[in-house]
Parts: sequence; C-alpha cells; structure tokens
Amino acid sequence: MAGAAGDVKALFSSLKSAYVATPTKLKIIDLYVFYALCTAVIQVVYMALVGSFPFNAFLSGFLSCVGTAVLAVCLRMQVNPKNKEFKELSLERAFADFVLANLVLHLVIMNFLG
Amino acid sequence: MAMAGRAIQVSSIIVILLGIASGSLSLPPDRSLHPRILVLVDDLTVKSSHSLFFASLADRGYRLEFKLTSDPSLALTSYGEYLFDGLILFAPAAEHFGGSVDIASILDFVDSGRDLILAADVGMSETLRTIANECGVEFDEDSNAVVIDHLNFAESETDTEHSLIAADTFVASSAILGEKGAEAPVLFQGIAHSVAPANDLVIKVLSASASAYSANPEVQLNGPPSLSGTSISLVSVLQARNNARVLISGSLSLFSNKFFVFPFKKFGSSTSFQRSGNQMFAEEISKWVFHERGHLKAVNVHHHKVGNLEEPSMYRITDHIEYSVEIYEWTGKTWKPYVADDVQVQFYMMSPYILKTLNHNGQGLYTTSFQVPDVYGVFQFKLDYNRLGYTTLAISKQIPVRPFRHNEYERFIPAAYPYYSSSFSMMFGFFLFGVVFLYHK
Repeated sequence: MAGAAGDVKALFSSLKSAYVATPTKLKIIDLYVFYALCTAVIQVVYMALVGSFPFNAFLSGFLSCVGTAVLAVCLRMQVNPKNKEFKELSLERAFADFVLANLVLHLVIMNFLG
Repeated sequence: MAMAGRAIQVSSIIVILLGIASGSLSLPPDRSLHPRILVLVDDLTVKSSHSLFFASLADRGYRLEFKLTSDPSLALTSYGEYLFDGLILFAPAAEHFGGSVDIASILDFVDSGRDLILAADVGMSETLRTIANECGVEFDEDSNAVVIDHLNFAESETDTEHSLIAADTFVASSAILGEKGAEAPVLFQGIAHSVAPANDLVIKVLSASASAYSANPEVQLNGPPSLSGTSISLVSVLQARNNARVLISGSLSLFSNKFFVFPFKKFGSSTSFQRSGNQMFAEEISKWVFHERGHLKAVNVHHHKVGNLEEPSMYRITDHIEYSVEIYEWTGKTWKPYVADDVQVQFYMMSPYILKTLNHNGQGLYTTSFQVPDVYGVFQFKLDYNRLGYTTLAISKQIPVRPFRHNEYERFIPAAYPYYSSSFSMMFGFFLFGVVFLYHK
C-alpha cells in the first residue's frame, strides 16, 4: 500500500516538474479550458436541480462551454512547439482559425439560446 | 293591381320577420308534412279489416293510397321522382307486383331513404321473403310454420294450437315505442323470423318468450324446431345507414281491427285485458317508422376561441376553445329541441385526443369548452351520436392546429438565466483570452 501511495506521489511530482517547463502561452490556454469545463459542470448540476425546462437554453449554455473548450484544445495542439504535426503552421494562422471558429460557435449559440 | 302587389310584398316581409323571430324553429322540415303512403294489399278487404290502423295514420295527416298488388298501373316513381314517402306492404302472399314495381324497385325505394312497413303471414311468398332478407331478417324456411307457445298464449276458443301469442317482451326504447309503450300484451299470430346477431342495424322490437318455437301445427315434429325461444323475433325494425326505417312483422293480423279490440286472458294469469296492446303498439311503432319520433338533426355547428366569437380557420396548440351545436328532433310537424345528457364531441386526429360530454341549455343548444392538446396537425371536431331508436348523427368538421410561431415562445425565463450568463461569460472569456494570448510575450 505504502509502495503504491509512494508511486502516486512520485508520479504527481514528476508531472508537476514536467508541467513547470511548459511555455506560459500553453498554460494560459489550459487555464481557459479549465474555466470553460468548470462552467459546463456547474450548468449540468444546475439542470439536475431545477429540471430541464428551457432545454434549448441549457443546451446552448452547455454546448457553448464544451465548444469553447474543444476549440481551445485545438489551438493548443497547433501552437505547441513540441507537436511536429503542425510544424509549418504559423501561430498567427492558428489563432485566426481559432477566432473564426469561435465566431461561428457563438453565432449559433445566440440563435439557439431562446 | 299595384295595391294588391304591395299587400303581397308587406305580408311576405312579415312572414320573413316571423321566421327570423322564431329562430331555430324556422328550420325547414326534413320530411313532408303530409306524407304520401302507398298501401299495397292482396285483397281490398284488408282496407276494411285493418281500418283502425289506417284511420290512425290518416288522422295524423298521412295521405293513404290503396292499390292491389296486381294493379297494372302500379309505380313508385314517375320520371325519376318518387311518388310516395312511405310504403305499406300488407300483401303477404304477393308473388309478383303489377306495373313497374318489383323487388329491386322496392329496395331502391328504401335505399332512397324512404320507409317501409312489411307484414308477412303464414304462407308468405318468396318475393316478400327476399325483401325481408335484404333488410336483414330471415323468416322460417317452412312457410306453413307458425309461432307456437304453450305457456304464453291468449286463451281463445278457436285457437287450439296455442298460436295466438300474447307477447310482452318489448325493446327497452321510449324512442321506438313511445313514453308509455304498449300497456297490455300484444297479440300475434303468424310466422317467426330471426335476425343475425351481428347485424346491429336490425332491432328486435317484440320478441317471443323462451318457451316459444316455430313449427307447422299440422305436421308431427321429428326433430328440434328450426327456430325456438327468445331468438324468435315477432316484430323487428331496421334503421338503415341512410336513416330509412323498415318495420317487419311476422303477422299481418297484428294490425287488424279484430286484434286491436280483442279482449283476452293470458294463459295462467288471473288478469284479463279488455283490449290488447296492439292498437297502441301499432300506432306508436308507425310513428317511429314514419319519423315522427327519434329523427334528429344537428345544425349550427360552431367553434371559436374563448373570448372571440369569430370562427378561425386554424387553432394554435394549447388554445382554449368553445364548441357548440344545436340538435333538434322532428315530431312530424315541427322541430323540437332535443334534450339528452350523453352527447359527446371528440377532438380527433387518428384517435380522440379529447372526448367531452356536451352541456345543454334545455333548448337544444349543446356547448362545451376545452383546451387544444399540445400536439399539432389536422384535427376534426367529431360528433358521433348513435342511440337506439334515434337516427345517427355523424358530423365532423376539420380544423388544423399549428405549433407556436417563433415569436410566440416565452422569452427571458428566470430559470434559464444561468444558461444565458454562461453563454455570455464564454463570449467575454474568449475576448479576454484573445487579448491575453496575443499580447503575451
């Protein structure tokens, strides 16, 4: 048992030391994703408490969070210097894609909100 | 001339005004006020031997025309128009009819919505059997068989076969038999018939008792009789789908003067009757057959939204609506309001979504109100009224029901504020993140 707990501890400390080395730009994206997911979870809990009556409003609120998180993760994949797949894609281009996708997302959300 | 013309004009205006004032009573009659009845007989003595029955019809305004079945000028139609409103066939033995009348023309007469009284008797012809058969009634195959009942017969010196039946098993319908019904048993002497149980258009008005059977009294019975017990019908009526009414009796003498005034004592019973119930029974049932009772009409079907008397071409789901209809009963001379507590309307699309019993005001106006269900599509207001002894009412009115328009939905629902705020916070978050991401070194 003690051995397993020690392993978990070692795992987390190695993860933390590795994450410290992550560029600040990616850390900002991670914070943004965390914020969006937290908001989504809060809405699910709220819906379970008060019922699903304006279901379209719930869906648009929830999906705006999920959509935001997904788009942010995509941006993070493209701007991560360790990711060889998007090596020739410039940072500005990735950001422009991100902005365009977000505009479409929020347009849809606004229409669906109620 | 001019003065006379003006007088006519004024009187016609008064008539129109009276018509408006009396409102619903100005409904045009469905049937002639003085219906013409053709009476077909084998033998003109029937006219005098059944005169009480014919006199009661004539007193009620019927114009009777007596003809022999062999009359060569016999015709029901002339240039495509029916000459009569009803037909009484008191000719049990008629094999052929004169003129243009035959089985098909009599059946066409019924198919056109006109009424028929058919009386059979022992020794009835194949022709009458066919007509009865087409009306859903099957007479005993042995045309010499009579109904015999050794327990429910009227005591008589001449009747040693117990074939003079004193029947008192009537159908429970005040529409057919009147409010009072027949007060004494009805005397019956004649042939038995049966009706198919699956046929719900034919009603047994007068049934035999459980101890009755049908047999030829001259012949020794070798096996069980073909018809026995309560399945024997003595008098039946048919109300066709077009509301034509047909009366079929197995006995012609049921309508005779002799039976109308026959004092008798029922076997095994201490009470003796001064008169049989035949006269009352014959009069009441002829009123029903010739639509003096139980003939309904529904008019002024109307529906609208609560608070708006105009009839719309379409409703929206969850609208509150009111439905009204007026129902009248024909009395032979006028329309009187029909009063019943069991008239129902359906709001129907493939199946009834709403079934409501209508309230009435005692003056023939039936109303109800309900909320349109939360389902859109093409609905119908359906009123199907089918009661024993009454003509069938089947009226339906189609009405589409639409969903909410996009601007009819509720906005800014308090319960949804968290969702609204999360969407806006995501938008604001995106803006903030963009700025931070771009300007971060």
